[in-house]
Amino acid sequence: MRTLVFIPAWNEEAALPGVIADVRKAIPEADLLVVDDGSADATAERAREAGALVASLPFNQGLGAALQTGYLYALRNGYDACAHLDADGQHPAEEVARLLAEVTADRADLVIGSRYHSGAVAVSGDYRPTFSRRIGTSVFRFFLTLATRQRFTDTTSGMRAANRRVMALFSRHYSPDFAEIESLQLAVRQGLRVEELPVRMLERAGGSSFLTPLRSAFFIFKGLVVLLVGQFRPRHMGTE
Amino acid sequence: MLPLAAETGQVHLTSQTRIVAAVLALFFMLMILELIRRDRLQERYSVIWFVAGLGMLAGAAFPGLIEVVANLMGVRNTNVALFSIVLLLLLGLALNFSVIMSRQAAQITRLAQERAIEKAQKEAAAAEKPLGKDAGSRNSSAISTTEDAA
Repeated sequence: MRTLVFIPAWNEEAALPGVIADVRKAIPEADLLVVDDGSADATAERAREAGALVASLPFNQGLGAALQTGYLYALRNGYDACAHLDADGQHPAEEVARLLAEVTADRADLVIGSRYHSGAVAVSGDYRPTFSRRIGTSVFRFFLTLATRQRFTDTTSGMRAANRRVMALFSRHYSPDFAEIESLQLAVRQGLRVEELPVRMLERAGGSSFLTPLRSAFFIFKGLVVLLVGQFRPRHMGTE
Repeated sequence: MLPLAAETGQVHLTSQTRIVAAVLALFFMLMILELIRRDRLQERYSVIWFVAGLGMLAGAAFPGLIEVVANLMGVRNTNVALFSIVLLLLLGLALNFSVIMSRQAAQITRLAQERAIEKAQKEAAAAEKPLGKDAGSRNSSAISTTEDAA
């Protein structure tokens, strides 16, 4: 069983070495790839110093394209399972290991780490969402659940584990603009087993969230359009 | 007040406006030819513009055409018909460009991804070589050698 853990990173030189060390400690058997999404800072150098393999996109392409690069790399290099987590230190690696265990035990094709799931335990210093973030979360939760007829609590989670079927699908179809939500809808519509696992998440180690109220509103509107269009996509696009 | 075209049964295009329109259409088509000649415009994207130029020319040469179209659309004023047709054509063109742009954006993304992956694979292979015989601990050795190299 070969496993790849990849981390999409855009200008995350400060937090990234800590995240890599965390992953190597918690999942020592996995290969580690940092997808550097056209960073202007020393993200790629820090990643190499920390012992990760680096795939550098020549210019910033957005989170969706960076994630797709990871899935494509995993598919091309014959990995049996892969997982990804955010580069800002919100995602503890031991939680990623739990997601991977679900995939390797073949209980699901795609596993999402959910910070809102009822089973998630809050500890002080843990993740606490802002107001606009909470509104967006509940709107997406409602509409994605409606669209997929499957209950989702954390639609924008960037902590996931997947098997080869998902790699094949996502390396071909992955929305560059609205990656997290559309990919869930797509996977469910293609008949893949998607599962949520309650996980702990931490407050961001550095930087601030990109969401302002106006941006949140636009983000939500865009997401709804994407979800609506996604409902009209063909059901069988072939996964392998 | 001038009577409407549909009421009088004729179009109010003076010969002067027709000449101006024809000259503009010809100039437009020459410009496209010149752009192709200088490799600033690809042939496959020029067809649609030639069709537009020919349409302008036809409108100038046979003003009756516009009236026929206006009647078909049920529009009394031929000018309104003309403007709506042009607007619709421009809308279609803009949409066409959005489609082309989306396709090219996807192609650029895939190109960037392929390049990033290829470079990463090369790096991985280079890092693995020195310890090549150590097959048992393949994964961990790849990681530790990249660290040594860095």
